[in-house]
Amino acid sequence: MPDKPGSRSSGFDRRAFMAGAAGSALIPITARAASEDARAPAAQDPSLPVEVTLRVNGKDKRLSIDARTTVLDALREHLKLTGSKKGCDHGQCGACTVLIDDRRVVSCLTLALAAEGQEITTIEGLATDDRLHPMQQAFIDNDAFQCGYCTPGQIMSAIACVKEGNAGSEADIREYMSGNICRCAAYPNIVAAVKQAAPEIMKG
Amino acid sequence: MTAAAPAPKANLGQPVPRYDAAAKVMGRATYASDMPLDNPAYAFLVTSAIAKGRIDRFELDDAKRVRGVIDIVTHENAPKLKESKLFSNGGYAGTTIQPLKSAEIAHDGQIIAVVVAESYEAAREAANRVKVSYSAAAPSATFDSPGTTAAAAKGQNSQFKEDPKVGDFAKAFDAAEVKLSVSYETPTQHHNPMELFTTSCAWMGDNLVIYEGSQYVYGLKNGVAEQLGIDADKVRVVNPYVGGGFGSRGSMTPRTAIIAAIAKRLNRPIKLVPTRDQGFTIATYRAETRHEIRLGASRDGRLVALRHEGAEVSSRPDAYCVGGTKTTTRLYACPNVDSLVSIVRADRNTPGFMRSPPEVPYLFALESALDELAVKLNMDPVELRRINDATRDPIDGKPYTSRSLMACFDEAAKAFGWSQRSPQPKSMSDGDWLIGYGCAATCYPTQMAPSAARVRLQRDGRTRVEIAGHEIGTGAYTVIAQTAAERLGVPLEKVAVFMGDSDLPPAPVAGGSNSTASTCSAVMMVCDQIRQRLFKALMPNDSLADKAKETVGISPAPSTQAAKGDRSLDIEKAFDALGVGVVEEYGEWKPEGAPLDSFRAMHNGQVRLVGGHQMKDQIAYAFGAEFVEVRVNRFTHEIRCPRLVGAFAAGRIMNPRTARSQLMGGLIWGMSSALLEATEIDERNARYVNDNLADYLVPVNADVPGVEVIMLSEQDDHINPVGAKGLGELANVGTNAAICNAIYHATGQRIRKLPVRLENIEL
Repeated sequence: MPDKPGSRSSGFDRRAFMAGAAGSALIPITARAASEDARAPAAQDPSLPVEVTLRVNGKDKRLSIDARTTVLDALREHLKLTGSKKGCDHGQCGACTVLIDDRRVVSCLTLALAAEGQEITTIEGLATDDRLHPMQQAFIDNDAFQCGYCTPGQIMSAIACVKEGNAGSEADIREYMSGNICRCAAYPNIVAAVKQAAPEIMKG
Repeated sequence: MTAAAPAPKANLGQPVPRYDAAAKVMGRATYASDMPLDNPAYAFLVTSAIAKGRIDRFELDDAKRVRGVIDIVTHENAPKLKESKLFSNGGYAGTTIQPLKSAEIAHDGQIIAVVVAESYEAAREAANRVKVSYSAAAPSATFDSPGTTAAAAKGQNSQFKEDPKVGDFAKAFDAAEVKLSVSYETPTQHHNPMELFTTSCAWMGDNLVIYEGSQYVYGLKNGVAEQLGIDADKVRVVNPYVGGGFGSRGSMTPRTAIIAAIAKRLNRPIKLVPTRDQGFTIATYRAETRHEIRLGASRDGRLVALRHEGAEVSSRPDAYCVGGTKTTTRLYACPNVDSLVSIVRADRNTPGFMRSPPEVPYLFALESALDELAVKLNMDPVELRRINDATRDPIDGKPYTSRSLMACFDEAAKAFGWSQRSPQPKSMSDGDWLIGYGCAATCYPTQMAPSAARVRLQRDGRTRVEIAGHEIGTGAYTVIAQTAAERLGVPLEKVAVFMGDSDLPPAPVAGGSNSTASTCSAVMMVCDQIRQRLFKALMPNDSLADKAKETVGISPAPSTQAAKGDRSLDIEKAFDALGVGVVEEYGEWKPEGAPLDSFRAMHNGQVRLVGGHQMKDQIAYAFGAEFVEVRVNRFTHEIRCPRLVGAFAAGRIMNPRTARSQLMGGLIWGMSSALLEATEIDERNARYVNDNLADYLVPVNADVPGVEVIMLSEQDDHINPVGAKGLGELANVGTNAAICNAIYHATGQRIRKLPVRLENIEL
């Protein structure tokens, strides 16, 4: 979504989501398809595989996939990066959240083709040499999960939330983390985790 | 120390971080659909667009033309499967409606075809190109729909044996000084765990591996084997992590055997990832309920008569019911009690257990009614509960093993600031917001089931615990590791726990809040077998060996007592004395009062739960008290719940960190059941309308400003060796009533139908 960081809809508030998504998320894809003639043969028969190179966690990955493959399914089914989760496939739950060029994006609503040339960061790309990212550590310290299924999406979303400048107060964190559903309802602990990690992340 | 890790109190264990914490924050925890498969084909379901009638014809040509389609399976060409009985009638299934068996349609959203293709995208496209012609009949959707049938639950469902009653209700109610007669309703709800209802099946020769999020791997293994007509030893269910269950994964759904049979036929692993909306009809749900409550009391608040009549919706073939009167007739001291549960059959998928199945709807009714009675009596609702606090089960006269209900009320009231409440409705406000305080009791039966475990100890202290338990977010890995570490006296980081695999020793269903008590009791017993072997090696002298037997805690005692001080053991010395490299023990534990066939049933994937009111000489429940503040905007009628405070007593708390999280999540679930959650039904078509996570409202972070969890010290030596009462289903009970009671206090309006939305407020 081409929102400015800090704008209301960049938090993927699910209740405001449909209005935002219908207007913005699909436009870049259409524009790209129209502007790049190289894609024309694939467009005639969408079930023929297309070649795409995705840059994931700093590495280029070359794939031959169905043109309709989402970033989420590309990660999970083709790159075996199963950390990002499918909870609804509709952009309603946030479990699939990844960072694309440092913005949080629901990967289930983003076609892999549309993400070519952009930097995709997933939960698997956060820790360095098994040293946890401060947000990962904060989630452990504050027991910010139970079943853990929404956790990768929560953590990716939380990192972006902090970088957007939307973690200044508990009320802000609650608001800007409301696009990520946690059915176990670890919400108060998630707020505590984001609060704990925020200063270290802002320090860089 | 963070708020997440409360300081230990008496009989609270250590708040160590979750065993699986690092895996979960790194994306390394592997849920069923994360499991790698060798060249899988992808399945996509086609579900019925009518609720009642039959399929006349499929037109599949268009679908088959989609590139990559391998097979389309309908009732005309589906593999034949054997029937499985409902779990409550000795089977494994959560429904006896078996899709793909005939052209008949029993409910909206029933599976009618499975498309298999080379890719997920092709399978999805082809599924959308399947055309179906139906002969539709008018379905019966719910209560009051034409064509439903109603009958008493007793006699229809082997798990609902009796409508509890005692004394002479009619006479006592007639003579009561103060009377209340009121009706309540609760809605349909769906569990909506975050993980979809995925299933992957892979055959290796005659052996089948199933990757599926399950709360009962032994039940699923045996159930699928039964449906396929193969030996259960040929089936293995694997799910080291489960993305939430809440009851939805406790019994077998029809999809699993179907996918397994298709994988066999195609000789290829198959991966099914159903959509979120399909999850509303291919699994179970919490059925809508209705309640009639009658209370009679003396003017000083003593209950003299109580009657609870409940009605629940189920499917045409299956008499599922939760029957919460077993709890509501026993919660308070009352000499004259009557009850009746009935089941209404409609053209719906079969409902099933959802977090605190009986207590959520039935205590909503009772705890709301008590508040209404308190108003009639002009009495503080906390004091009304104190006056009627019971020490014995009023139906059978058995004593409670422990009961800290009023201690919970007192602690929670203090933390909440209940004394600041002015009792009159509409008497508290803050600007445009009317403020209401409300409270309610919660309780949940303490249940246990037979469980086995295998424990292996190495000379260097490394320990491996194997048990087919389930990590659905409860902290099962963590408390099992803690139990083994404590019992064997080894450091926690040396303990590895293996669960979620039906090739491991059997554990019961992760349901009925029995897991911790059952699995930890089994692990503790097997650790004691190891301790005994080691002590015997160190003390060949008979009398000392007897001493060892005593000190290693073979008798049921809280684990802390036996694992401390001078009973510690030099493992290396003992290994040298034994002359072995590894000591391994297997054992099967069963709770007191478990039926004779318990262990056989355990291996066959059938649970024999004991506890609650079904213990021989006692009755065992966990208790709690919940206080809420609601704010209702006097102009917009918006309802907010800024504060939830709960105090709970559940015997030994194995790990205050994981327990607190479960209780906190429970409180939020309770708030949600009052203010947010309901599956809306289109009554003309018997169809769920809001079958997605935007329209089926579950709480998001902004809905949950303040939650406080208080865990009381409670010791109960009568329930099980670890002394733990289940608490996973304790905190989401009663909250719905507390919120409606608070809305009454804020607005003067009594709302008896859930959920409460702003359009229900009339000011």
